[in-house]
Amino acid sequence: MAYKDFRDFLSTLEKEGQLLTISDEVKPEPDIAAATKAMSKMGAETPAMLFDNIYGYTDAKVAMNVMGSWPNHALMMGLPKNTPLKDQFFEFARRYDQFPMEVKREETAPFHEVEITEDINLFEILPLFRLNQGDGGFYLDKGCVISRDVEDPENFGKQNVGIYRMQVKGKDRIGIQPVPQHDIAIHLRQAEERGENLPVVIALGNEPAITTAAATPLLYDQSEYEMAGAIQGEPYRIVKAKDSDLDIPWGAEVVLEGELLAGEREFEGPFGEFTGHYSGGRSMPVIKINRVYHRKNPIFEHLYIGMPWTETDYMVGINTSVPLYQQLKEAFPNEIVAVNAMYTHGLVAIVSTKRRYGGFAKAVGMRAMTTPHGLGYCKMVIVVDEDVDPFNLPQVMWALSTKLHPKHDTVIIPDLSVLALDPGSSPAGITHKMILDATTPLAPETRGHYSQPLDSPLDVDKWEQRLRELLK
Amino acid sequence: MHTCPRCESKEATVVAKSPVEGAWEVYMCPVCIFTWRSIEPETITNPEKYNRAFKVNPDDIPSAENVPALPARYIK
Ligand SMILES: [Zn+2]
Repeated sequence: MAYKDFRDFLSTLEKEGQLLTISDEVKPEPDIAAATKAMSKMGAETPAMLFDNIYGYTDAKVAMNVMGSWPNHALMMGLPKNTPLKDQFFEFARRYDQFPMEVKREETAPFHEVEITEDINLFEILPLFRLNQGDGGFYLDKGCVISRDVEDPENFGKQNVGIYRMQVKGKDRIGIQPVPQHDIAIHLRQAEERGENLPVVIALGNEPAITTAAATPLLYDQSEYEMAGAIQGEPYRIVKAKDSDLDIPWGAEVVLEGELLAGEREFEGPFGEFTGHYSGGRSMPVIKINRVYHRKNPIFEHLYIGMPWTETDYMVGINTSVPLYQQLKEAFPNEIVAVNAMYTHGLVAIVSTKRRYGGFAKAVGMRAMTTPHGLGYCKMVIVVDEDVDPFNLPQVMWALSTKLHPKHDTVIIPDLSVLALDPGSSPAGITHKMILDATTPLAPETRGHYSQPLDSPLDVDKWEQRLRELLK
Repeated sequence: MHTCPRCESKEATVVAKSPVEGAWEVYMCPVCIFTWRSIEPETITNPEKYNRAFKVNPDDIPSAENVPALPARYIK
């Protein structure tokens, strides 16, 4: 089911009625970001958008909201577009278990069509535009950034493909935000300690399996390419860079090759972030671009980010929930049912679990906070019973309203780590965390009156099936 | 040279012109690295109308926090 390249995925979206082409003239600002934000407000089933008539440009094409809905996420996995969210979660978890899928190497790629090595001007090559009004410039925020471990360069698994925010800061200069928790920050640190620049490649306009893998909190030595292969169910195609040993997604529309400059930091930001707040201006590393390739008439992909929900939240929803689910299952294989860590990248997580004995659910909540992702997120973990669907918020709210006793079921743990972008953390990167135990008390707990849970009329399941048939 | 709406330095330069001649220009400030397009709303392009909460004082730039921190060999 693999998509050959970005265009292949766009044409599938079009066939499925999930791509809206906007051929009326739009201005780069504020129209593209405004239209995309407006689309995000229209629900969880919105189409991608392709802008092909942008004021001042002759042939620029910009694709937005490409994975900004559950139908588009389902199509990314080659599933029917109406696949329910919970089914997408379990199918993703199943494919996650197929990791690693070996890669397929190619000699040439479509992006070799046009190559630029002199007088590079990113402002002319890419149709750049501002996303949010307070942004300090024009950003790239859906590109795959590739780098290798400097001390173990042969290790394919330690090669990293990640998505980082990048500000275009000059004709051949790009600022990047590698916070210390990011894998690329480990590579940069290794290179800087040696006094060397770090080779990097930025691939723009990719088919969605690699974007999904790049946005998944994999372990440091797990290959995103081998995960993209697992997600799409066949080997992922890659091609070598020309200036380094880095591997590039074969289907990219635009590729920028360059190096992170050792010892250099430069003013960057602010940028409207997924937390719904701007990050302030800070000094960040700089990438010098030495080589650009692109397909003829490239389609430029971009991502609107801001107050949730936007495309980001669909893009990192299931692929954040699944690693937490797998890691919790390692600890509690017989109990964990499902994990929904889709809220602001998992700052809030909901875990559905069976309980062995009273107090068990609180341990599950604490374990969520000590997973690799939980260390930077999981500020609030809501734990619910096995019969509550964590993806169904009305059910979660029912559990909170009826099962939680504030005196017994609210646990606050002081001064844990969280990502510094959490605007509530103080100092940045430190926060109290909370477990809300909305499971039914179990012996030796004796409180509450839970012996008469409401059942359904007989044959509801039978009727549900029958009605589905009738409504087809 | 153009005035940067954000830090008000006078050193901003043109970094791109629209492929369709005369539609717009893009400017960049070398002091605070702000980038803007000539046809953006005045709240972006005009130093007087630029959102005060997002103004940058050039004197504060050298003391901005390094993310990530620099290894010891680069610390002066
Ligand atoms: Zn400035």
